[in-house]
Amino acid sequence: MPPRDGRTGPDTPPEPREERPPAGFSRRSFLVGASGGALAGALGGGLAGKAAAATPPAAPPAQEGPETLSGTVEVELRVNGTALTARVLPQTTLLGALRHHVDPPLTGSKEVCDRGTCGACTVIVDGRPVYSCMQLAVQMTGREIRTVEGLGTPDALSPVQAAFCEHDALMCGFCTPGFVVASTACLEKHGDPDLDTIKEELSGNVCRCGTYPHVFEAVQSAAKARGGRTGR
Amino acid sequence: MSAGPTKDPAPAAQDWQAADRPEWGANDAHPLLNTDIPRVDGPEKVTGVAKYTHDIRLPGMVYARLVISPYPRAVVRDMNFRRARRVPGVVHAEPLEEEGVQLLFQGAGGVVGIVAGESPEAAEAGRAEVSIDYEALEPVVTPEQALADGAPGVGRGGRNVSSVESHGDQQAVAAAIGGCDHVVQATYRVPVQHHVSLETHGVVVDYDGGDSAVVYHSSQNVTGANREFSNYLGLDADKVTVLVQNVGGGFGAKFGAGLEGRLACELAVELKRPVHLMLTREDEFLMAGNRSGSEQRMVGGASSDGTFKVLAVEADKHGGVGQGALPRPPYIYTVENSVAEVRSVHTATDSSRAMRAPGHPQASFAMESMIDELAYGIRMDPVEFRKKNLADPVWHRQLDRVAEEIGWHDHPHRTQPGPGGDGVHVGIGFGVAVWGSRSRDVTVVDLRVEPDGGVTASTAVQDIGQGARTLVAAIVAEELGLDAPEVRAEIGDSRLPPAVGSGGSTTTGSIGPSIKDAAYQARVELSKRVAPLLDAEPGELRFAGHRVFVAGDTGRSLSWREACAALGDAPLRVTGRFQPHLRDQGIHGAQAAKVQVDMLTGRVDVLKMVSIQDQGLPLNRMAIRSQMNGGMIQALSFALFEERVLDPDTGIMLSSDMENYKIAGCREMPELVAIIDDEDTREAVMGMAEASNIPGHSAIGNAIYNACGLRLRDMPFTPDRILTALGGMS
Ligand code: FES
Ligand code: FES
Repeated sequence: MPPRDGRTGPDTPPEPREERPPAGFSRRSFLVGASGGALAGALGGGLAGKAAAATPPAAPPAQEGPETLSGTVEVELRVNGTALTARVLPQTTLLGALRHHVDPPLTGSKEVCDRGTCGACTVIVDGRPVYSCMQLAVQMTGREIRTVEGLGTPDALSPVQAAFCEHDALMCGFCTPGFVVASTACLEKHGDPDLDTIKEELSGNVCRCGTYPHVFEAVQSAAKARGGRTGR
Repeated sequence: MSAGPTKDPAPAAQDWQAADRPEWGANDAHPLLNTDIPRVDGPEKVTGVAKYTHDIRLPGMVYARLVISPYPRAVVRDMNFRRARRVPGVVHAEPLEEEGVQLLFQGAGGVVGIVAGESPEAAEAGRAEVSIDYEALEPVVTPEQALADGAPGVGRGGRNVSSVESHGDQQAVAAAIGGCDHVVQATYRVPVQHHVSLETHGVVVDYDGGDSAVVYHSSQNVTGANREFSNYLGLDADKVTVLVQNVGGGFGAKFGAGLEGRLACELAVELKRPVHLMLTREDEFLMAGNRSGSEQRMVGGASSDGTFKVLAVEADKHGGVGQGALPRPPYIYTVENSVAEVRSVHTATDSSRAMRAPGHPQASFAMESMIDELAYGIRMDPVEFRKKNLADPVWHRQLDRVAEEIGWHDHPHRTQPGPGGDGVHVGIGFGVAVWGSRSRDVTVVDLRVEPDGGVTASTAVQDIGQGARTLVAAIVAEELGLDAPEVRAEIGDSRLPPAVGSGGSTTTGSIGPSIKDAAYQARVELSKRVAPLLDAEPGELRFAGHRVFVAGDTGRSLSWREACAALGDAPLRVTGRFQPHLRDQGIHGAQAAKVQVDMLTGRVDVLKMVSIQDQGLPLNRMAIRSQMNGGMIQALSFALFEERVLDPDTGIMLSSDMENYKIAGCREMPELVAIIDDEDTREAVMGMAEASNIPGHSAIGNAIYNACGLRLRDMPFTPDRILTALGGMS
C-alpha cells in the first residue's frame, strides 16, 4: 500500500479560494454542534441580531460574545444586487442557502464535493472568488455576492459566457458555472492574463470531462473581447 | 410570392440533395456539419439556467440520505434510528436491514438505512444521529486476501474466482519462446478507477400517491427507463415519465435506476411526497461503480528483426463483486503465437461498471508496455516496432502523424532510453487504440415543420456532454439549409420516440442516421409542396442558406419562411428511422506523450500530448476535439494520480473524497493537440469518445521509460513509485 500522500500528485494546486471561514466560525464546529443537539459557534457582532431571530429561541447567549444558535435562523443575503432572505439551520452553507433556501432557488452554483475541493460552487463575494460550500450562510450578511445567474442570461451572455460557448469550453456543463465565475473573477483581476496566470487562477476548479484547454482558450479570447480591462 | 435573388449565395455543392435516398455526401463538402458547431445548449449551461437532476425543486419535496456501512463485510449488531427521528426537520429515518444481518460487500451491499428531511441540512443532521454497531468481519478487499487459502467466499455463489477463459496453444507458445532474440517477463498492474462524474448518481421522484409519476434522473439511458421506475412505484409504465434534460457526466456508470433509484421510489410511495435522492460524494465513491483494476502477468518475445513472436498472458480482472472487463490479449497487436488465461478475482467491494472503453485502458497499459519493452530490448524504434506488428495501415499513418507532431524524429534517444542520472529528463512514448463504435437500430425521430418555419426534432436521446442535443439540431439544420440554433431539439423525455442509450460510443452512429432520415423526408416532402411555386420539379430543388432554390438557377428561389408557408395550415410531420448505410463502425487512434521526469523528487510532468482520431464523417469538429482532449486528460489523470485505496485491515475506503482521490486539474494540463484524421473519408457516422480514452496513460508510462530508463509497471506513476523504482535500479 503506497502512502496516501504519494497519490496527491506532484502538483497539488494551491487553493486560491477563500476556504476557511474567518476565525471564530467553522462549518465543522456547527456540524459537530448539530450532532450534539445544540449548535455551538462563536458569533461575531454582525450576527448577534440574527441569532436573536432564531426559532425556537436561541439558547441564552454565553457571557462574553459567543452565542449558541439553534433551531432555524433568518439570513439576509445580497445576491446579484438583490436582497434575499431565507430561514435556514445555522449549519447551512452559502451554497446550500442559494440552492435550496432562497426563493426562487439559485441552482446555477453546483454542489459536487461540498468540501472545498472542486470549485463547482464558486461565487464572487466582495470581489473575490469563494467556494460557497465552505462559507456559512449566516456569515454572509452585508456582503455582496455574485453568482453565475448574475453574470448574464442566455439572451445576453457576458463576454466570458459567450467565449465559453464559442470555444466549446463545456461538455456535460456541470463544472461550467464554477469555471465561468472563476474566469470572470480572473479577468476582473488580470486584464490580459497569460496562460500560466489563467491556470493558476482556475486551479481551484476541476472538470472531469476535460474542458480545460478550451476553457483556457475561452478566457484568453474573453480578455481580448474586454479589451484587456481589469475590474467589473 | 416573391422569387427574388438569394441574399446568401448558395454553397456550390448540394449534390447530396440530388440523391434519391438520404446521403451525407462528401466529407469535405458540408455547409454546417464537419465544421465547429457551438453547442445549442451552451448558453443555458454557461448561465446556470440549465437544470440538472440535482437542481430539481418541487413543492413538498423531501431530501433523502443513505446510511452506508463503512465496512465491506460486517454483521449489523445494533441499530438506533430513534434519535435521528427526533432531529427537527427529519421526516423519515428507518433501517433497511434487520439487526443480525450480514453485509456482504462495500457499497450497495452496505446500505442499511435511509433518512429524509425537509431540507438537505436536516437530512444530513438526521443521518449523523443514526448509530449502528457493526461487527466487522475479515474484509477481503485485496486480490491477495481473496485468493488466500480459506478466504471467505465473496463473489457470486461464494466463489472468489470466476469466468475463467483461456485460448491459444500452450505448446506452440512454449516452443516459440526458444526462437526469440529477446524475451520479457513482467507483471503490469492497473488500479481501480472511479468515474467521478461531477453530478453524482441520483433521482428526483415526483409522486404524491396518485396514479402517475415523473422521475428526473441523472442517466445515460432515457428510453424504457419508465418501465423500471414504474415497477418500483407500482404504477403502469405509461403513467411514469422519465426526464433527463441535462446530465453532469456519466462515463458509463449511469445506466438503470440503481439502488438509489429504487429506494427513492419506495420512499415516495411511503411518504406520498416528492423525494430528492442524490448520492453524496462519499456515497458516490462507495457505491456508484468503477473501472475494474487488473493484474496482467506476461511473457513476450520478439526476434531481432522486430517480429512479435510470442505472448503468454495470465490476467486477473479486479471488478469487486462484478466481473470486470478486459479485451482478449494480444489486444490490438498481431503476434505469431499467443496463449492467454483471463479470470475474474472477486473482492467484497463495489461492482465494476462500464467506464469509457471498458477494459481497454487496462489492456492498453499492459500491451503497450510489453511492446515497448520488446522494442527497446532489440534496440528498435518503438514506433517502427509497432508499425511492424500492427496489421491495419490506418495505425501506421496515425502513428507517423503523432510522431511528427510530438517531435519524435528530433528526439535524441529513440532506440534506447535516456541515460538517466541526476536532474530532469524528457522522454516520449506512444500507444494506439481501437474501438468497435457499433450502432443499433432503435432510434426513431419525429420531425415537425411548422407553416411559420419553426422546426422541431424529437427523440428520447440524452445529452451526457457528448453534444447529442446539438447533433439532433445540426443534422436537421444542414439538410434544410438552416443554422443549428434554428432547430428545436426535443430530447431526454421517455414519452418521446425511442432512442439509443449512451454507452460504448454508440450514440452518434445510432441516432445520426435516424435524424438524417427524418430531415431528408422533410426536405423531400417540402420540395413537393414548393416545386409548383417555383415552376420546377421537386427533385430540382435545393435547400441552403435559408432558401429553397432551383439547382443551377438560384434566381428562382423562396426564403425558408416563404417555402414553409406553402404548407398551409397544417405542419409537416415525418418520422425518421435508422438507415444502416449512413453509419459505419470500427475506428482506430494513436497518441503520443512527452514527459519530464525529475529524478530527485520523482515528479512527472506531462509536457505535451497528441491524439489523432478517425471517425468517418466528423459531425461537429469542435465537440470531437473536446472529446479527444477529455480522453487525453482522463488518461493523464489515470496515469499520474488516480487510485482507489482501501485499508487492507479494515476494508475502509481511504480515498472517498476528491482530495484523496485526485483528478487532474488546470495546473497539470500539458499542451494538448487533438487531430481529426481527415484521411478517413468514410461518408458515414460513428462515435469516437471511447477510443480517445484508451492509450494516453500507456504513452505516458512509455515516455517515462524513454526519458530515464525507469519502467513503471504499476499505475499510477506517483513520485513514491518513481523513487522506489529508482532505488531498485541503482
Ligand atoms: S462543491 Fe464547493 S468546492 Fe466542491
Ligand atoms: S464539463 Fe463535465 S465536468 Fe466539466
